Amino acid sequence: MFGFRTSLPRRTELALGLAGLLLFLGLWHVASVSGWVKQQFLPTPFAVVEAFGRLFTERNFAGDIAISVGRVWLAFLLSVIVAVPLGLLMSCYRAVGAFVEPFVDFIRYLPVPAMVPLLIIWFGVGEASKIAVLWMGTFFQLVLLISDDTKRVPAEYVESGFTLGASQWQVIRDIVFPAALPNIVDNLRITLGWCWTYLIIAEIVAASSGIGHVIWSLRRFVKTPEVMAGIVAIGIIGLLTDQAFRWAHRRRFRYLER
Amino acid sequence: MAYLDLTNISKTYGTDGRKVQAVAPLTLAMDRGQIVTFLGPSGCGKTTVMRMVGGLETPTTGTITLDGARLGGPDRRRGMVFQSYAAFPWLTVAGNIRLGLKYRADLSASDREDTVNRFIELVGLKGFADSYTNQISGGMRQRVAIARTLAANPDILLMDEPFGALDALTREHLQNKLLEINRTAGKTTIFVTHDVEEAILLAHRLVVFSARPARVLEDINVTEQLGPDDRDQALRDTPAFLSLRREVQQIIRAEYIRAEAEAAHAP
Ligand SMILES: Nc1ncnc2c1ncn2[C@@H]1O[C@H](COP(=O)(O)OP(=O)(O)OP(=O)(O)O)[C@@H](O)[C@H]1O
Ligand SMILES: [Mg+2]
Repeated sequence: MFGFRTSLPRRTELALGLAGLLLFLGLWHVASVSGWVKQQFLPTPFAVVEAFGRLFTERNFAGDIAISVGRVWLAFLLSVIVAVPLGLLMSCYRAVGAFVEPFVDFIRYLPVPAMVPLLIIWFGVGEASKIAVLWMGTFFQLVLLISDDTKRVPAEYVESGFTLGASQWQVIRDIVFPAALPNIVDNLRITLGWCWTYLIIAEIVAASSGIGHVIWSLRRFVKTPEVMAGIVAIGIIGLLTDQAFRWAHRRRFRYLER
Repeated sequence: MAYLDLTNISKTYGTDGRKVQAVAPLTLAMDRGQIVTFLGPSGCGKTTVMRMVGGLETPTTGTITLDGARLGGPDRRRGMVFQSYAAFPWLTVAGNIRLGLKYRADLSASDREDTVNRFIELVGLKGFADSYTNQISGGMRQRVAIARTLAANPDILLMDEPFGALDALTREHLQNKLLEINRTAGKTTIFVTHDVEEAILLAHRLVVFSARPARVLEDINVTEQLGPDDRDQALRDTPAFLSLRREVQQIIRAEYIRAEAEAAHAP
């Protein structure tokens, strides 16, 4: 089982993952039931599951989830639509890279939460400011990641393309993009995760709907189980999205398997 | 004027601070249909010469002409096969070869599929058309790259140690294929290798380069020495082949010694 850098059967992997999760839940439960941590601060896992159910029955949590997911995907897609072409151009044409990189690097280091007040002044408290926060948080990172992915496409691929008679545009479309695509998709998956972080910040600061808003408003009544259930909901959505991405990646890029 | 003319081409890499002269002014004229092999010490500038012919590197001085017309950046007239990164992993064998045809305007849609199949057969990959490159061997991948380059129908084939990473048997097999292709299609070819036997076996003409910066040290008319007959692996055991091999090895050894002595006396 502890073979150095060896792979494990799929079932063993699942069993180990499950065991880790159960151990965590077990410790949590013991800590809560034993009174080691006050239940007001740390309700049992079962209490959280119950609260999870209540969120759906006592208030329209499904609607809040839909709104949050919608915000994340809208902002994410707006990021991708601009970042992918720009990243490709930055790596293929040094002039574009040199023009854009210093600016992008600067913005990238600005903490997004610090931008929230400014974005609210600019865009108001409606949807636009939330989308803007998410977009700011992902776009500037993503564009550099995409540019790096395409830079790593071997020069030989590109040169083969030109000697086959492809134009620059054809080389980008038929060689650079498909060659970089597996890494691009991986980076999209990671960036989509960041979207959730920024979403909750945006929804806590100014929103009347969404998962972040629900968590924040329940906090005021110290409904710890519900607050934790809200956090768990984000975790579950994140996990499912991540797994879906991985699954699609494996299917679409089967040619990467050794 | 020959078919492919390299006139006084030289190449110096780098800018003011650190300059490396890879190729000394060098003149070489090649006939149509010829296979010319390049031999020379490692790092002497063979790849650089080939890349200049391919338009992937601009000569610092001199000109390259094809059929009398000056050559510039890379295009379909000069096909390149690299040592590694041969076939594109995101395409199947057929997909790779189809890409070689994609930028040709002279084929109809039905011609295209026929041509794809013809080239798959030519390199002996029938039955692997729908395989991805992770499902085939290194030698097969190299054959895909060769077929893809041939499919684009270049005037000149540039091959930079294309069989370098392969085992001896696969190598011989691909050498036979290349000779066969040259017999049928008569492609003008520049072939870089470190393997003296390979350089002789494939060549109509063998050019030995000096240590860096590359100059033409020896220009051997192999056809004249070994006869113009159809080449095959059996040639390796003939006395004429063996004596030519010895001669070439001696030239290269002497050049290594000369270059080392020169380096030792350099300021
Ligand atoms: N892009 C580059 N920038 C700077 N120097 C380079 C570059 N490419 C090659 N050189 C230098 O030019 C010289 C010739 O290189 P080249 O690759 O043409 O040699 P080669 O004969 O193909 O060597 P090998 O047989 O090992 O493949 C080397 O000294 C190398 O370090
Ligand atoms: Mg080389």
